[in-house]
Amino acid sequence: MIVLRRGIVFPSGVEGLMVLIFYIIRRVLFIPITLFGISLIVFSMIGMLSPYQRLATFISSPDRLKSENVDQLISMYGLDDPIPIQYGRWFKNLLQGNLGWSYVGKAPVLQALLQRFPYTLELTLFSAIPIILIGTWMGVLSALHHNRTLDHSLRIFAVVGWSFPDFVFGLFILMIFYSTLGLFPPGNLSLWAESIVKSTSFRSFTGMTTIDALLNGRLDVFVNALRHLVGPVLTLTYVQLAYILRITRSSMLDVLQRDYVRTARAKGLDERVVINKHAKRNAMIPVATVSGQTIVGLMAGTVIVEAIFNRTGLGSFLALAAQQLDYASIMGGVLFFGLILIIGNLLVDISYAYIDPRVRLD
Amino acid sequence: MKKILVLTWLLVFVLGISVAFAEIKNPDTYVYLHIGEPDTLDPGYAYDNASGEVLTYIYENLISYDGVNLQKFIPILATEIPTVENGLIQDNGTTYRFPIREGVKFHNGNDFTPEDVEYTFERNILFDPANGPQWMIIEALFDSQTLDELVADKIGTPLTEMVDENGNLINPDDAAKLIEFYQQVIDPVIEVQDNSVVFHLVRPFAPFLYILPKHAYWSNILDKETCVEWGCWDGNADGWWKHYNVKKESSPIYDKANGTGPFKFTEWDRTQQKVTLDRFDGYWGEKAKIAQIIDWGIDEWGTRRAMLEAGDADQIYMPAQYLDQVKDLKDLKIESGKRITVTAFHFNWTVDKTSDFLGSGVLDGNGIPADFFSDIHCRRAFSYAFDYDTMIQEVLLGYGERPPSVIPSGMLGYNADLPKFEFDLAKAEEEFKKAWDGKVWENGFKLTLLYNTGNDARQTACEMFKENIESLNPKFKIDVQGVQWPNYLDAYKSGKLPAFVIGWIADYPDPHNFIFTYFHSNGVYGGPQGEAYIKFAQENLNPIIEAAISETDATKRQAMYEEIQKIAYENVLGLTFYQEIALFPMRTWVQGWEFNPIQSGEANYNGIYKAE
Repeated sequence: MIVLRRGIVFPSGVEGLMVLIFYIIRRVLFIPITLFGISLIVFSMIGMLSPYQRLATFISSPDRLKSENVDQLISMYGLDDPIPIQYGRWFKNLLQGNLGWSYVGKAPVLQALLQRFPYTLELTLFSAIPIILIGTWMGVLSALHHNRTLDHSLRIFAVVGWSFPDFVFGLFILMIFYSTLGLFPPGNLSLWAESIVKSTSFRSFTGMTTIDALLNGRLDVFVNALRHLVGPVLTLTYVQLAYILRITRSSMLDVLQRDYVRTARAKGLDERVVINKHAKRNAMIPVATVSGQTIVGLMAGTVIVEAIFNRTGLGSFLALAAQQLDYASIMGGVLFFGLILIIGNLLVDISYAYIDPRVRLD
Repeated sequence: MKKILVLTWLLVFVLGISVAFAEIKNPDTYVYLHIGEPDTLDPGYAYDNASGEVLTYIYENLISYDGVNLQKFIPILATEIPTVENGLIQDNGTTYRFPIREGVKFHNGNDFTPEDVEYTFERNILFDPANGPQWMIIEALFDSQTLDELVADKIGTPLTEMVDENGNLINPDDAAKLIEFYQQVIDPVIEVQDNSVVFHLVRPFAPFLYILPKHAYWSNILDKETCVEWGCWDGNADGWWKHYNVKKESSPIYDKANGTGPFKFTEWDRTQQKVTLDRFDGYWGEKAKIAQIIDWGIDEWGTRRAMLEAGDADQIYMPAQYLDQVKDLKDLKIESGKRITVTAFHFNWTVDKTSDFLGSGVLDGNGIPADFFSDIHCRRAFSYAFDYDTMIQEVLLGYGERPPSVIPSGMLGYNADLPKFEFDLAKAEEEFKKAWDGKVWENGFKLTLLYNTGNDARQTACEMFKENIESLNPKFKIDVQGVQWPNYLDAYKSGKLPAFVIGWIADYPDPHNFIFTYFHSNGVYGGPQGEAYIKFAQENLNPIIEAAISETDATKRQAMYEEIQKIAYENVLGLTFYQEIALFPMRTWVQGWEFNPIQSGEANYNGIYKAE
């Protein structure tokens, strides 16, 4: 059942579906306007910097300050043109499907983004599974053992992870599991596996090595890719699961106080049924929302982990682009992430409306 | 849920347990980890170490240094080293003849010919990308800094005013002038005569041979046929300007390469910052011992270190500050060598008045005047207030030495006995009392010193100045600020920095490359020292610097460069902090590695192999 803004309740079915489609179309129509606004803001911010500051794109370190004719670069790339003209030039190219050249990615911006996106998506998906599963499991356990030793222990464990800088924990994982034990290497693949993936006989379907390896029937490559994922996934899991744990715990505690849970218990239902069927299911509604946001947030929040584990994803790429003021990459990245965030949030909103009928699709 | 957890841990265990430490990992592949990736694979554009690392082994040059001896050459694609004695240098040092080696093949099977050499140099000169290395060739051959300047000199109008950003003529009538320019100016300078290539210089240029050897990747020899096929300049006079200063990424050989070197280019994975080179089995000389090289940019130090420790890397780039983290690791060794590079501190005699780093702009204890460092006593006081030995100990852990001026040791013009300032706070105080007729001591000053964040050398230097100078007088204040590189670059280029720490890595091992850079009014670091400095340099330094470059007698040149350094000392034109001794951590199984004092080429890949 879907409820409209004015409280008119439509039954699920064709009419409900129409409302949903109308809602999606309206949100989708807003996407270009939102992205246009974002691009204007970001471009204006970059434009406030002097041409010499933006020259950092082309002279990336003091070692490169060698030749004298660097001023020629400023006029060559139009860095001293008025900002509206620069924006107009960028926008005109955008309309032609050209996001410009990425000096950080050493490729056209769109190509650089699309090459890195699968790495980030793969890491995000593989991390989201343990974060959500372990986070909710611990949250439920914590709530069920409210204010007892297990509750305190799990909360301390999670809070420690939450407050750990991810580069510290990442390096710790790298040193223990790779340098010392030789188990989980950084990077995407071992050299032998990479040569297979780059051979003509290996077809790329998704750009995600694990999935492509399975689709190509290469179990050895799949296992190798998984081994390279363990370190970053462990790091992200430990650092991120506290949030899910807290939401699950508080939601579960809230639900456990509700009348219907008390009623279920009063009816003499088995405690396991009360927990799993009545309490947990309802407690999962806010968790589902938060989980969706966590997945979307992970996409942009893997910068440090990507750097430490040498996974060349979008996060580290955009961090470098920001450092070097590579405006084409920054603009492309902002639009790309903006699009992902908008679509991700739309999906979360829709799924939330389905999970909780009280939600209105405004 | 418990089952899922158990299965997860089981999976982790299974994935991990399959690993066993190999004796030598990837025995036929050499993995070198460093920072960044090539800027381009076009030798005409490349001007960074990461590009040079790769190009040095794909392409070859006419000549090479004889191992670590930078004063002696051996032929590569030439068969003889030109000298006055063997008659290959003539006309008072303005004609150089290089007999060309026969039987050499490019990686795609094309024959190497003298025409390839002529094409290479002409193509690169006509390309002359902004911020590229071609100024060295243009300076040597034409006594000019850029093609733009050369065209302006010969035709009367700069090239940049004749062609637009797409390489099209703004006025089509200029085509005839530019065709004639090529025919009259460029083409005659490099000629093929029989099986030799002859270079005609407009005036003697003492370090000419130094800009040609292996590691000078701007002189890598291209394959004309392949370059033309890929879309580079076709070798004709008509339309050459379309290839002038094209954007880096628009160069047809930006990501392609076909050389004669011991390794052929296989792949540049720009997502992973990784370049793969494979042994060229058709190489004319002694074939490389290792089958494959992986030149990989991994910016995170911890990751590089971990990969070296695990044996997945054979050699890594390491700043000296991390030495303690690797020196005791098992199965690792650390090679070292003195690099032809210096790091120095220079003053801006006339800071841009809009600078944010002048405080009040007057000597009232809250700022400095824009021409604060035009007073020699201020410069001298700063020179005495710096603890040079501690700097080398703290930043380089002792792996460095201090040349008297900007000419590094091991190079013509270096003389360890030349005078230099020593750390002496009493003398610093004395100089501060004399500065600005005593106003500096009386009123005090506030100065901002900037460093770009992440650069430990600059930060340490600025903090040492702060500590020492503030200890002299409570009215002295030095504010040390770390800023991002773009902001530092902005302040530096717009003349807003009151003083700056800056290093120079040799393009070629000749004193001119350092002296001109730091002291000439047109040098890269000359301009940012302000108008007053430029005037000083024009009057006192430029004539002798320009005379030294044309002098072919080594003894006379030595004396001239010593004279320049004495002038620099007497007028306190800058402080040289150190010449770094580079450290190279690698696995003990690496054999045949040789130190290379000149950039680029961190490893001698030709002779390297792996064995316990």
